[in-house]
Amino acid sequence: MYKIRSLMIVIGSSSLSGGGWSLLAAMMADPQDDLSPACSEQNSPSFSICSSPSQSLPSTPSSCGPPRPASPPLGVISEGGGELSLVIDAEVAQRACQEVLQKVKLRQVDAAAGPAPGSQHNGPSPDRGIPAIKPLQIREEEGPAPGSVKSARRRQRHNPSKQSWLLRLFESKLFDVSMAISYLHSSKEPGVQAYIGNRLFSFPHDDVDFYLPQLLNMYIHMDEDVGDAIKPYLVHRCRQSISFSLQCAWLLGAYSSDMHISTQRHSRGSKLRKLILSDELKPSGSRARRELTLTPICLAVAPGGPATDHGLSPSKRTHQRSKSDATVSISLSSNLKRTASNPKVESSQDEPVRLAPQREFMKSLMGIGKRLATLPTKEQKTQRLISELSLLNHKLPARVWLPTAAFDHHVVRVPHTQAVVLNSKDKAPYLIYVEVLECENFEMSSVPMRIPENRIRSTRSVENLPDCGMMAEQRAGSFSVVPNYDNDDEAWSVDDIGELQVELPEGHTNSCDNISQFSVDSITSLDSKEPVFIAAGDIRRRLSEQLAQAPTTFRRDPEDPSAVALKEPWEEKVRRIREGSPYGHFPTWRLLSVIVKCGDDLRQELLAFQVLQQLKSIWEQERVPLWIRPYKIVVLSADSGMIEPVVNAVSIHQVKKQSQLSLLDYFLQEHGAPTTENFLSAQRNFVRSCAGYSLICYLLQVKDRHNGNILLDADGHIIHIDFGFILSSSPRNLGFETSAFKLTAEFVEVMGGPDGDMFNYYRMLMLQGLIAARKHMDRVLQIVEIMQQGSQLPCFHGSSTMRGLKERFHMSLTEEQLQLLVDQLVDGSMRSLTTKLYDGFQYLTNGIM
Amino acid sequence: MIRFHGARKSTILPEWSTENKLLVSVNKSEEAIIDFGTKNLVMSQVEKKAGLLRRTSSSKKPLKEKVVLMYDEIFAVSAPAGGKKWWKEDPAKNNPRFWDELFLMKVNLEYLESKLESVNGEEVQRIQDNINSLFHHCVQALGEEHQIKVVNALQTLCALFRGVHQKNKSASGFDIINMLMGFDKAEQRMKDLMERLDSLLCGDSSESLKSLCLKLLLCLVTVTDNISQNTILEYVMINSIFEAILQILSDPSSRGQHGYDAVVLLALLVNYRKYESVNPYIVKLSIVDDEPTLDGMGVVLHQALTEYNRQYKDKEEENQGGFFSTLTSMVGSMFIADVDEKLSVQTNEAILLALYEAVHLNRNFITVLAQSHPEIDIAVTPSTPTPTTPTTPLGTTPPSLDVMNNPELPLDPNLQTSNLLITFLKYASIVMQDTKDEHRLNSARLCLIILTCIAEDQYANAFLHDDNINFRVSLHRMPMRHRKKPPGKNIPSRPLVCAVLDLMVEFIVTHMMKDFPMDLYLRCVQIIHKLLCYQKKCRIRLHYTWRELWSASPSLYAALINLLKFLLSNETTLLAKHNIFHLALLVVNLFNMFITYGDTFLPTSNSYDELYYEIVRMHQVFDNLYCMVLRVSTNTGQWKEAASKVTHALVNIRAIINHFNPKIESYAAVNHISQLSEEQVLEVVRSHYDTLTLKLQDGLDQFERYSEQPKEAAFFKELVRSISLNVRKNVSLNTLSQDVLLKEFSTIS
Repeated sequence: MYKIRSLMIVIGSSSLSGGGWSLLAAMMADPQDDLSPACSEQNSPSFSICSSPSQSLPSTPSSCGPPRPASPPLGVISEGGGELSLVIDAEVAQRACQEVLQKVKLRQVDAAAGPAPGSQHNGPSPDRGIPAIKPLQIREEEGPAPGSVKSARRRQRHNPSKQSWLLRLFESKLFDVSMAISYLHSSKEPGVQAYIGNRLFSFPHDDVDFYLPQLLNMYIHMDEDVGDAIKPYLVHRCRQSISFSLQCAWLLGAYSSDMHISTQRHSRGSKLRKLILSDELKPSGSRARRELTLTPICLAVAPGGPATDHGLSPSKRTHQRSKSDATVSISLSSNLKRTASNPKVESSQDEPVRLAPQREFMKSLMGIGKRLATLPTKEQKTQRLISELSLLNHKLPARVWLPTAAFDHHVVRVPHTQAVVLNSKDKAPYLIYVEVLECENFEMSSVPMRIPENRIRSTRSVENLPDCGMMAEQRAGSFSVVPNYDNDDEAWSVDDIGELQVELPEGHTNSCDNISQFSVDSITSLDSKEPVFIAAGDIRRRLSEQLAQAPTTFRRDPEDPSAVALKEPWEEKVRRIREGSPYGHFPTWRLLSVIVKCGDDLRQELLAFQVLQQLKSIWEQERVPLWIRPYKIVVLSADSGMIEPVVNAVSIHQVKKQSQLSLLDYFLQEHGAPTTENFLSAQRNFVRSCAGYSLICYLLQVKDRHNGNILLDADGHIIHIDFGFILSSSPRNLGFETSAFKLTAEFVEVMGGPDGDMFNYYRMLMLQGLIAARKHMDRVLQIVEIMQQGSQLPCFHGSSTMRGLKERFHMSLTEEQLQLLVDQLVDGSMRSLTTKLYDGFQYLTNGIM
Repeated sequence: MIRFHGARKSTILPEWSTENKLLVSVNKSEEAIIDFGTKNLVMSQVEKKAGLLRRTSSSKKPLKEKVVLMYDEIFAVSAPAGGKKWWKEDPAKNNPRFWDELFLMKVNLEYLESKLESVNGEEVQRIQDNINSLFHHCVQALGEEHQIKVVNALQTLCALFRGVHQKNKSASGFDIINMLMGFDKAEQRMKDLMERLDSLLCGDSSESLKSLCLKLLLCLVTVTDNISQNTILEYVMINSIFEAILQILSDPSSRGQHGYDAVVLLALLVNYRKYESVNPYIVKLSIVDDEPTLDGMGVVLHQALTEYNRQYKDKEEENQGGFFSTLTSMVGSMFIADVDEKLSVQTNEAILLALYEAVHLNRNFITVLAQSHPEIDIAVTPSTPTPTTPTTPLGTTPPSLDVMNNPELPLDPNLQTSNLLITFLKYASIVMQDTKDEHRLNSARLCLIILTCIAEDQYANAFLHDDNINFRVSLHRMPMRHRKKPPGKNIPSRPLVCAVLDLMVEFIVTHMMKDFPMDLYLRCVQIIHKLLCYQKKCRIRLHYTWRELWSASPSLYAALINLLKFLLSNETTLLAKHNIFHLALLVVNLFNMFITYGDTFLPTSNSYDELYYEIVRMHQVFDNLYCMVLRVSTNTGQWKEAASKVTHALVNIRAIINHFNPKIESYAAVNHISQLSEEQVLEVVRSHYDTLTLKLQDGLDQFERYSEQPKEAAFFKELVRSISLNVRKNVSLNTLSQDVLLKEFSTIS
């Protein structure tokens, strides 16, 4: 009643020759209509701009321009599974948007009360997707459509002026995904929803992808109209991209899981998921395209590949990789076949299964996690992990990728010996490093050839062998003794340790020079007979120097295998792994890492990631130098997923346990004396990140803040991880951690004490951050609010979650009051006994320092 | 006939006599049962034929199987028709379906073999055409669809090969080829044979058929004691079945059943005229890079070694299981255990050889060494009926078949993951415990040779030293009076190279005996040296307690210094047989490595001080050594040169001793302490480094690369001979029990 009732759109379409489309649409609404909060906020920037008259678009009467056929007669682009034969691009979608508006407008003009734009089931029209070619024709005879409840709403009185405001907003350049999502959620008007559904096509993919959890949650849990509005977009994107398809499928599965089991099976979400996973949403015309693009590659690879790769080794029968052990033991993964490297396999399959390899890859990773969980000790887990991964390696490279990465790539190898099991009491999350080759397009580029593990060395190869009469015919029957061929001579290219040349890192060269010098001397001395003398003291000194020079590493601890792995500087690790990898020589080689979590619900983590990301961009936009590091989350199901690890960071617990130093002393050890540039910048980083995370912890009510959940990176930043307890949930309801955020004396000490400049800087940053966040509060609230829909997550427990969150932004306070508040929070947290109590509690129960 | 067989076997194998009797009796009864029907059925026909052909003798002749009669026909030599010329009868002349029938008949191996053995030289000439024809038809029968025929043809071929060789032990390979196939056709016949075998092995034929094919090949490969004298193998070289072997190894299920035989066959084929000519199997094996295949080979080797380790462990546990079981096992071991164990070591020589060839020839195989498998020795139930397997792992099917076929890694929390290298190290630790027996000595030597190859390989070293690949390797240690058995549970998880070093130390400590295995000691010390060279080059600071390697006591590991001590105290006895100076030089040079290059690979600065501490503490040993080598080098004699090398090598150690000893004494005198503590000595050492000058020695970090030829050629020749004998023995035993197979096929057809 008080919401937007209907949509009247005045469309002016210029003639074909007349250049771009222009349109004028008007939104009809009740006068009392309470617009969505974003627009009612006086200080909201979006409102202020959308109300500026300069943004209004030129409008022309609808009557001008030649009539064109409106290919999709009405409504949104409805697309069922496998109906559409052509790809929709953004341009087409744009047009579809306009057509919807136009229809509505026409109806308005014709004063046809009855017809509804809601007839969603349009048959597949052959000419759909290429409307640009044909002139737009307004087919009025289509007008009277079966009446419905929705159409009835259209008969409301309209308020043209208000409508145009909203329409102008929608048409304005500032109408972004965030707003679209917000309106999609808050508007109960099918027309608006349909319009936004179509507008989605025009946004950059990345922007929409950020809100994918919201979109899908709305699709699952909100009413028909929203679902119908979003579906075409989802289907369209699914057709376009394998990775989007899987992303959708995973999220749909995860967000449907809270529904009752009986309704879940028949829910929209499950249906769409099934549709995606059935792999019917193939890109239309993909076959033709694939043939065009892939065939030449295959042809190029096929002759050269096996020939050089296998050489003389019998290719007749031996290359039945698909029958290998690895296949069987990773079981499931029969689909995880290498494709390009094994042209036979590819050609045997008419159309390679689109989604299967990646799904099998993920399944294998999860399977490993499940199996690890059954093992009692860390050490066994680690060994098992390594051996499982080495089997997985046999199936790589394949058309699989890591969903946490930001670029297109193929996974080529998992350096299995680098994998570590992470600290967890009963689950077995593990961290793996993954070697990938960056590629143009994940789906189109050919999968790299497999290179055997030890190929990095110059192997004994066919070329080096003397011709040893492999031609049976030539030698047939002759018993002549062929001249001796010694298999130990230089026929083999030698790369044993005797000839091994070790390149030393820059830093070492000075001290090592002497030795290499000696080695040279020692050879010459043979002739000259002049003995070379060395001082024992020099040897001893070099030893201690080199040991001191080496970067501080952590001790290997079988109970905490990840500490060493995480402490190693990322750059060094990359270099080391690259050296040891048969794929390391590719210029596109990259190293990624990922944490595989099995048995953990990452939906809350994903929510936290979104909020963090949003706040980060808000702070960036407002130029507040708060520092936070949102890490990517991939939700695979309600109880599994993947996390992008923060590189060059170890937990404060590990720092303290390994170094046995206070945090400040550790800073001094790692970064140098308090006056050095290094230390100061590390301290600045620490303060900025502390401020950022303090605010996050306060706003999101992040709990379970023990030192195992706070990382410290190589530059001095702290990074909070594990958002398992946020908003309304807290661990075990023990009533600990009542403080707003964690601010220990040690933290303050690193910041130079409670009276230092840096600490004041910290307070100031907090205030600035809070003010900036408050300004864009809606962008944060909206993320959380939509996800609350239909969710059973513990963070939404209780009824006051949203209200509490909103209150923590303190919209009503003046900046002076806010300053007071911040001071209060900081002082309170600093004094907080409960933080200390909680740390003590964690130490006692989990051994976390 | 059967009695004869039994007797023959027992002469070859006296220790098996009891079992053979059992086997014989089984055979007898089985034959009786199986042949009963056929005999009756055939009899009338036989009589008819006999009546026709040998009317006079038929009444006297005992009843014979038809197949025997048919053999007789083949070997029959008719009297000259009129002239001087003897002529042989074509068995198919009277009966065009002769060959068809022959291969439908159950083979009587003993009869056929004995028949071949009994023909004398002249007769051979005469019946050669018939034998050729038999061979030819055998080969043709292999292509038959009727599997009974294939089975019989395979067995007949087996008997032919064996019989002919048995008869003509001294004959040249050419004569044998001529006798079997005829020179002119030999090439074609063997080509056909190999092709048929190849397609049988690679096709979908029954598993038992494949197994029989492999047995035939094993039989063919081992008919001569010296594999290189087996001229027929020249055809096997030309018509390679390498690919078939690889295929068997790459497929998990076929690997489970035939992997053992395939690997042994490959190891033997690789050793055919290894040093004289180009062996295509060597070439092909060296370039295999197909991972599933290499892994498959690794799995087979892993299983075989694991099985041995498990058996050993069971026995050991049995022996430790309380007084009563000790008593019983003592009583029991008086009769069987000894034989039992020796045999399994023997049969494992083949597996070790296969491992060696793979490691030595194929560099890609090195990666397989580190390939993790779940440890299966706990999972396998030891309740397998003992009489079937223990003596012949080469027999019917390898053990723990079910585990091999199990595709999923078993989910047992007690399961330790392992890899081929670890299993091999454990195996080596068992074998090295006792080197008195010749077979064990050979096995230990081969183990050390394999380790030498591994220690030289860069990739192998990389994973040996990889800090992320940690394992607990529980090596078997010889129980010794003066030391407790180290508790197995508390072995720390360390990089694999530590296990290798432990093994070397263990060997060094436990084999200082009269019958000094000099050769093994040299290899041991060289392996340590190679590992150190790698660490020096790559600047890997291994956290290994080097002191255990250096020091005599208080640690129970009395390794290098103790070894020098031993050499000194047994100088006269040892010198009679060995060049102890070479070993002493190697040991001293290990110390020199630490002294000169310690800065590049020692884990802590303290460990360098400890090195000096140990040297100074044990200076007596070095002093004595110096005196000894000086004495020998000043005398003229065969050791002059070798001894003087050691004197030169000792220069730095002596410098250290001479430098620090006075300092320590004066420190003690100044501080009025009679007994300096370790910390005090270290203090003195630390403060006086700067006044010590060392001489840089040449080539400390250089070593001679392992080369099989010419040094090891004789060893491998003997080893292959012993393996051949062993395999032949087992194969012949085994082919006898193919009745099962026949039954299987008779039900199919």
